[in-house]
Amino acid sequence: MKLNIDGLLVYFPYDYIYPEQYSYMLELKRTLDAKGHGVLEMPSGTGKTISLLSLIVAYQKAYPLEVTKLVYCSRTVPEIEKVVEELRKLMDYYTKQTEAKNDFLALALSSRKNLCIHPEVSALRFGKEVDGKCHSLTASYIRAQHHSNPSQPVCQFYEEFDAVGRQVPIPPGIYNLDDLKDFGRRKGWCPYFLARYAILHANIVVYSYHYLLDPKIADLVSKELAKKSVVVFDEAHNIDNVCIDSMSVNITRRTLDRCQTNVETLQNTISRIKETDAAKLREEYSRLVEGLKEANVARETDMYLSNPVLPDEILQEAVPGSIRTAEHFVGFMKRFLEYLKARLRIHHVVQESAPQFLKDIYEKVCIDRKPLRFCAERLRSLLRTLEIADIADFSAITLISHFATLVSTYSKGFTIIIEPFEDRTPTIANPVLHFSCMDPSIAIKPVFGRFQSVIITSGTLSPLDIYPRILDFRPVTVASFTMTLARTCLCPLIVGRGNDQVAMTSKFETREDFAVIRNYGNLLLEMSAIVPDGIVAFFTSYIYMENIVASWYEQGILENIQRNKLIFIETQDAAETSMALEKYQEACENGRGAILLSVARGKVSEGIDFVHHYGRAVIMFGVPYVYTQSRILKARLEYLRDQFQIRENDFLTFDAMRHAAQCVGRAIRGKTDYGLMIFADKRYARADKRGKLPRWIQEHLTDGSLNLTIDETVQLGKHFLRQMAQPFRQEDQLGLSLLTLEQLQSEDMLQKIAQIAQQA
Amino acid sequence: KYKAAQTVFNIDKKCQKISPDGKAKIQLQLLLHTGESTTFHFANGSTALKDRDATKELLQQLLPKFKKKANKELEEKNRMLQEDPVLFQLYKDLVVSQVISAEEFWANRLSLNTVEHSLSNNNKQEVGISAAFLADIRPQTDGCNGLRYNLTSDIIESIFRTYPTVKQKYAENIPHNMTEKEFWTRFFQSHYFHRDRISTGQQDIFSECAKQDEKGLKSMVTQGVKNPMVDLLSLEDKSLDEGYGTATVPTTSNSSNKSLRENSNSAIIKRFNHHSAMVLAAGLRKAEAPSDQASETSSTDGNSRDSDFFQPPLKKVKLQESIEYDDLQGDSGRQTIALNLKKSDRYSHGPIPLQSQHYTTSQDIINSISIIQHEMRNYKPRLTQVMSSNAASSAITALSPGGLLMQGGGQQTINQLVPTDVQSELKHLYTAAGELLRHFWSCFPVNTPFLEEKLTGHLEEMLQAAYSKFQVWQTRRMMRKT
Repeated sequence: MKLNIDGLLVYFPYDYIYPEQYSYMLELKRTLDAKGHGVLEMPSGTGKTISLLSLIVAYQKAYPLEVTKLVYCSRTVPEIEKVVEELRKLMDYYTKQTEAKNDFLALALSSRKNLCIHPEVSALRFGKEVDGKCHSLTASYIRAQHHSNPSQPVCQFYEEFDAVGRQVPIPPGIYNLDDLKDFGRRKGWCPYFLARYAILHANIVVYSYHYLLDPKIADLVSKELAKKSVVVFDEAHNIDNVCIDSMSVNITRRTLDRCQTNVETLQNTISRIKETDAAKLREEYSRLVEGLKEANVARETDMYLSNPVLPDEILQEAVPGSIRTAEHFVGFMKRFLEYLKARLRIHHVVQESAPQFLKDIYEKVCIDRKPLRFCAERLRSLLRTLEIADIADFSAITLISHFATLVSTYSKGFTIIIEPFEDRTPTIANPVLHFSCMDPSIAIKPVFGRFQSVIITSGTLSPLDIYPRILDFRPVTVASFTMTLARTCLCPLIVGRGNDQVAMTSKFETREDFAVIRNYGNLLLEMSAIVPDGIVAFFTSYIYMENIVASWYEQGILENIQRNKLIFIETQDAAETSMALEKYQEACENGRGAILLSVARGKVSEGIDFVHHYGRAVIMFGVPYVYTQSRILKARLEYLRDQFQIRENDFLTFDAMRHAAQCVGRAIRGKTDYGLMIFADKRYARADKRGKLPRWIQEHLTDGSLNLTIDETVQLGKHFLRQMAQPFRQEDQLGLSLLTLEQLQSEDMLQKIAQIAQQA
Repeated sequence: KYKAAQTVFNIDKKCQKISPDGKAKIQLQLLLHTGESTTFHFANGSTALKDRDATKELLQQLLPKFKKKANKELEEKNRMLQEDPVLFQLYKDLVVSQVISAEEFWANRLSLNTVEHSLSNNNKQEVGISAAFLADIRPQTDGCNGLRYNLTSDIIESIFRTYPTVKQKYAENIPHNMTEKEFWTRFFQSHYFHRDRISTGQQDIFSECAKQDEKGLKSMVTQGVKNPMVDLLSLEDKSLDEGYGTATVPTTSNSSNKSLRENSNSAIIKRFNHHSAMVLAAGLRKAEAPSDQASETSSTDGNSRDSDFFQPPLKKVKLQESIEYDDLQGDSGRQTIALNLKKSDRYSHGPIPLQSQHYTTSQDIINSISIIQHEMRNYKPRLTQVMSSNAASSAITALSPGGLLMQGGGQQTINQLVPTDVQSELKHLYTAAGELLRHFWSCFPVNTPFLEEKLTGHLEEMLQAAYSKFQVWQTRRMMRKT
């Protein structure tokens, strides 16, 4: 249908529309008009993606000069591919309606592992191997060697692309990963480099978070993206963790050992080159005297996305003399390495700030702050000069150099923790230096600064006000949308007690309690008898799940559950879990029914949807608090309190509740879907927990379902499931949660829609 | 006594009772389904007790087998009667009215239907395996430091089907290496059964099974999953490089510093995953085995991972499925399933007689109805192009009975003259007589005394009975007519 969103003609590729989609588009339009940032929460399964795409594409077509590009970031590869498929649907609709030839170029970008078509390289299993192998075939000096010595192997796909691929633009269309590969095969071009090149002029780019948030990758891939882009972060409820992870570094003894060998290799290479090709080193030297001016020019002219690892100040200066020659730099790195080794030889935990660390390093080994800051850039230049084939081998020294640059650049927002051993195994020495980022805004700042509109959206972003605070930006729209429902297809229940009235909770003091474990077991057992097909149960942590499973096994609870359903359990091995997951779906499919025991914050809870019969009930055993004894977390909490005035408990609860909401939200993926959401912990009944659930779950939590026993839960669940099993037709939804164009245009419907969005 | 015992096998037994050990009389009582009971008295003094026990054992083993057989036959007969109304009528006419005995009736039938019999047996659904079959053998303490395991033939069957390696071991070791009892005792003691116990490394015939299972699990894992949407390995697009991130670094020495308890816990988890997978596979295996056609197609339908070219279809389908909002779509476009013909010539040159019959699925009917409805809706009478009334009325007369085009209907057949109940009665009599004649002819050549006896005494009686029956019917009909 064709919609009128606040004066903008939007093509929407369906005959019907959900009211909340309309409302969502309205808010989105406002955000784009204001050229500001937005935080939008809309339940999963209400067609968020297609709403986003429809509106932004319409906006791009209407105002091609205002918004030149859409950068859509999602989290997982399947998600990325889904987005592109939805986009394809939209574009098909456009061509059908307007009968004009599509002139849009949209493509997905992923790592080499998912795009490589080289027969040998693509056969490798791990991403890192593929990257390394690819580099060894496509690096510039390898190709130069190939010219003089044709026996040197190169990648013919890259050669072909390099020869002609850049001149001929890729024809407009929608390219998913497989389409890119097909196209690459047809033309004989490398799809990966083709995609990387094509994103610069594509209208829509879909890729993963890391390409924007991880400074190491963003610098390579995304820095030339146009300023007038709209950036969307979908499934953004964990965006702060992605930011933090990309800026944090861990150094173990093994890292240092490998770094040691790296340094030795460098030294040998340098002395060899010095004998054969001294001019090359001299050339590099003079280039470094010039400084990093090019980068500076580019940034000043607003061409590049700035790199948080490469702060502005160093761009204006030349590389300090002490590390300008290759030998001096290697010597410098050696000294730094020795210092780190000494720091790891400790017997007690040390925590210090970056300035303290710098002071110490100056006192001990006379390393100044300034050369440290240039470490990362200097190493990169050196590796380039020395024509190192396999960059992957030098990951250790690259890591150390990044650490050096970061620690000397940021005096705030980071902490250094050196732990001599793991908490659980105090007898085994395993020293680790954690350099951990505590401020997610550092990594995302360039994104907010550069692009005119950044939309943060997800099914679970409650409480909404916390994201602008921890990411340090000022949104123009902050809204949460509810799910309009013709029938209440979600049924959140809080189970607080067993039938013996013993409180159920995963609170640390009582979690090992026999009665609690037994009651949890009984709950699962009872549910397995009444819920059809699939049940997914989440535990707060892997270790907790292991313990509970073991005691359920001893008590024979699992065997009784097996009478009703098959049991599959997530393990720490991803391949094993994938298999269990597939078998689980198979068992749901063939009617046998199954239970999947899984872990909140695990891969399953974040990336896998349990639509329809794959998940008729989700049970959340306990409140998934993060492991609070970790020093890194403590440091972060402290930082949040001091910098953002967020109380520790507020943050912990927020973090736990967003994960709980993610887990239970896995089961509802649409209005025709239905599922029980069982929160098995009495603490969920408290207002401070409950209030942090997304609005679309909260509004179905009645006072009657707050502190149930297992029996009551079973009764309510039975009732709910029986109701939901009745046929549900489109007509039942029409006019309430599903609208035709005429219904949408009626006055009172528009009024109703206005209430869907709740501004925070 | 043994002979006596042998003969009773042919009788349906309900249960058996033995006299308590202390009693003077050593007896074995068999309770039959019919309610009768037979008591065997073991009299040869010293060995009586042993004999009795041996008999009991034998009976116990034979009982389930026989029971199954008996039940199966009964079921089969029942099924045949239910599926074939003509046969049922015949059965009523001949057996219920005691013209011939049930055995005779079936003796002829069953052998006749052996082909069909075996066929239907194949199609019969296997009984599934309960996921909790191992739980059913939960040991119970018998009060004096012993454990008692309950093992039934069903459970053994389940174990064999879920764990083929155990079956293999069973075949290898029984009966020459150990007795059955010993085998199961060892099984229950083994590390294999108690997966949470850490292997003690002692001689355990099942350790090999465990190893094989491990191997199977590994190969399953390395094979990977077919559905790209659940493949956790390729979920993440770009993982952080080693050394970055806040997550705790995985310990380099993972297995050595794990406590014993943790190891046993993860063993339990592995076991449950494996067990569930095996149970699921056992169910599917049976379903796929008889029709290799199905497995043939399933292996080529794009599920195989080995080639990159085969992967996209499944992936595409899954992707499309996951982005579909069926309620947003108008008339959610009729889903059709593409016909996947393996050998298309086989379908185009089918057996001739079958072609005459026109099969329609319910979906076809629904579709065609909707098409007709659609056409009716769009139907506009073209009034300018109608026939003249003269032509129309002549066409009607031509088409009505007796008309020019309906000559065939002129000769009225017998089924319009005779009322239906008489017809059906006649039909029954005819088939009954035919059946008797079949019995009669099947006696030739007369080469056994049994056949001779049947021919001379028995059949004559039967035919007599049939004659009289026909007579009765005829007179009744005559009377009714007059």
